[in-house]
Amino acid sequence: MPGKRPALFPVLAAGLILAVAGAAGLALTRHPVAAVYAAAPTLPAPTGLITAAPQQRSAQVSLPVTLSIPSIGVQTSLIHLGLAADGTLQVPQSTAVAGWYTGSPRPGAVGSAVIAGHIDSRTGPGVFFRLSSLRPGDRVYIRRADGTLAVFRVTSVRQFPKDSFPTSAVYGPAPDPEVRLITCGGTFDAQQGSYLSNTIVYATETS
Amino acid sequence: MKIMRFIRWTTFLMAAAALLLGITRVASASTTSSGTGWVRLAHLSPNTPAVDVYLYSFGDPSAELVLHHVGYGTVSPYEALAAGEYTVAMRAAGAAASTKPVLSASLTVAPGGAYTVAGLGPESGLRLEVLQDQLTDPPGKAQVRFIQASLQQHEVTVTWDGKPTVTNLAFGSVSSYQVVSPATATLHAAGESESVNSTITLAAGTVHTVVILDGSKALVLDNLLDAAGSDGVPAGAAATGLGGTAPRVPSPLPWLYLIAAGLLLTMVGGLGVRLVPRQRGRHAR
Repeated sequence: MPGKRPALFPVLAAGLILAVAGAAGLALTRHPVAAVYAAAPTLPAPTGLITAAPQQRSAQVSLPVTLSIPSIGVQTSLIHLGLAADGTLQVPQSTAVAGWYTGSPRPGAVGSAVIAGHIDSRTGPGVFFRLSSLRPGDRVYIRRADGTLAVFRVTSVRQFPKDSFPTSAVYGPAPDPEVRLITCGGTFDAQQGSYLSNTIVYATETS
Repeated sequence: MKIMRFIRWTTFLMAAAALLLGITRVASASTTSSGTGWVRLAHLSPNTPAVDVYLYSFGDPSAELVLHHVGYGTVSPYEALAAGEYTVAMRAAGAAASTKPVLSASLTVAPGGAYTVAGLGPESGLRLEVLQDQLTDPPGKAQVRFIQASLQQHEVTVTWDGKPTVTNLAFGSVSSYQVVSPATATLHAAGESESVNSTITLAAGTVHTVVILDGSKALVLDNLLDAAGSDGVPAGAAATGLGGTAPRVPSPLPWLYLIAAGLLLTMVGGLGVRLVPRQRGRHAR
């Protein structure tokens, strides 16, 4: 009766398929799935005439006071952040405000100013809840103590696992006024009580 | 034989699953460069009158950037440019853009690269030099280089914080970047007959170019900030979330049940397949 034997193959096949699917599902849901957004397309080249101006150097820019990002409804004061006791970046106590890292250049001065804010509290959204939905071209406004406004254009939005945080791209030297906005993202590890990734927005001052 | 085909089929499935996992890993690790570089333009030839400086994208006859009436000692701010080939041309101030340039130089702007295109030397031997500017710093250090643009002093020796930093730097030449410990200190530059003192701050995480210029009476130092970063670099990532809005890591239990069920079925099926041919006889192979 050769017709009967194959009847068990579907069982074997189904079993293996289920086991493989289960293993794949398990593996896929254990990791933070990082969304990588495209960097800004090549910048529009500057056009028109620009009169030679001496480089602004000793002109000290004033301290940052407020941050506003209309496209994601952010309007917050900026507190000052230093280093935590363990050497990591201090983060705001309140999840409703963002903070400027005082070890980084002031927003609008040469270099990348670092601003951090929470994605959420224990119960709901924080000040940078929608940071990852920013797109290249979106504007970031920083008001300074002397009333001047620095305007930045988002160039890219990226997500990095925390164990491969891009330290030099965030804290390293930059030749023009830039801003790095940092919040959390990816999968939340309930055991550790922390997210496994950071979302970083790169923005450059508009000239 | 069906069982062989079956094994091949499941192997393929597993390979596909592994590939899928591999792809998601690679995607999360990838970083893209933004494709932007920076260029600044400088006139550092003491006896050359003011010039107009043009920047052209290679092969494009219309200038992308024009700096008018750039005099000795002028350094423009950095201009962000799409990576690619460019040509810099100098014309006498006020000369028509259609006239033949006095000097020109080409440069390749790499993504993330910064460059200073400087007119150096005396008017009689004026040249355009493309300098590569540094955009990284060793942790906790500062970097500085020197451009000797004084025609009055043929060679200049620079001392910073009491330590000789560059000796006998000849007119029209550029030193390499020196790594220094951050400090606010006296920068002393001395030529054959003139010298100058200036108190400058070289902060950790910054990169500077100091230009030695002929002033109206004596040497003048121009401290340019090439790039700046954080002066203390925080360790690791930022703890900026408490999880109130997080999609939790889903429970592994459903997947474990699925695996268990799959393994059970496999065992049942496998046993059946093994048992049946034995009963039916050896010629089944």
